[in-house]
Amino acid sequence: MNGTPGARTTRVWAALCAVTVLSWRLGTERTAGAAVTVAVLAIALVKARFVVRCFMEVQDAPAWLRRLTDVWLAALWTALVVLYLV
Amino acid sequence: MTAERETAARLPGDPGMWVFVLGDLAFFSAYFVIFMVHRGREPELFAAAQRHLSPAVAVATTLLLLTGSWLIALAVQASRAGEHRRALRLTAGTLLTGVLFMLVKAGEWAWEASHGRTFASGDFFMFYYLLTGVHLFHMLLGLVVLGVVLRELRAPGLRRTAVVETGATYWHMVDLLWIVIFVLVYLMR
Repeated sequence: MNGTPGARTTRVWAALCAVTVLSWRLGTERTAGAAVTVAVLAIALVKARFVVRCFMEVQDAPAWLRRLTDVWLAALWTALVVLYLV
Repeated sequence: MTAERETAARLPGDPGMWVFVLGDLAFFSAYFVIFMVHRGREPELFAAAQRHLSPAVAVATTLLLLTGSWLIALAVQASRAGEHRRALRLTAGTLLTGVLFMLVKAGEWAWEASHGRTFASGDFFMFYYLLTGVHLFHMLLGLVVLGVVLRELRAPGLRRTAVVETGATYWHMVDLLWIVIFVLVYLMR
């Protein structure tokens, strides 16, 4: 990674804020449909994983925690998308 | 555990906090799934009720939470570097974002209730008050946790990085849960 840990944390924060605004602009369009909602859910998954990995520092945590958090993210988001689409 | 392994993989903060965080994530996940099941039964009613909420206000509160998470993450790094005064200021910044979040949320609730949209106004608003309410309760506990971190950083004899890490882990969980609530309650069409 480039720069100090603080610089990376700040870049992640700026990116998370940017995609939050993006998902809002996507989500409130009058033509919003299933594809847009799935895209908004996908953005939220990326956000959640960055919070877990970078802010919560799970990227440097033992393998069991890295795996467990990824299993949680995968299971929850699969359930959300499936329940939304069916 | 070897020194090499120690630097390669490290659990930030108290292991007990991680057990609590993982349990709480599972607990909220069940809520989220139940919400989706109910939404699937009456999507038109949920969509109609959801239009009363302001996504712009939800974006503002999301940015507040992300900013609080960023500041406490920097506070952990500052604490590790021995920059306790900086860590103290950053943690106080996180506390401020939490207080602002709660004020905005209280204003949102007051607005909705004053327009007749209460816990009894159908499934969507029942879930809205339930999810945001349980989340707000977690945030209130988070403010207490941040208070403990601030006290730790102020006392020259304490200043244990592990306490700052443990507080930060809890606060990030509050942020993480909100990311899901933001999408399900405010954005999903």
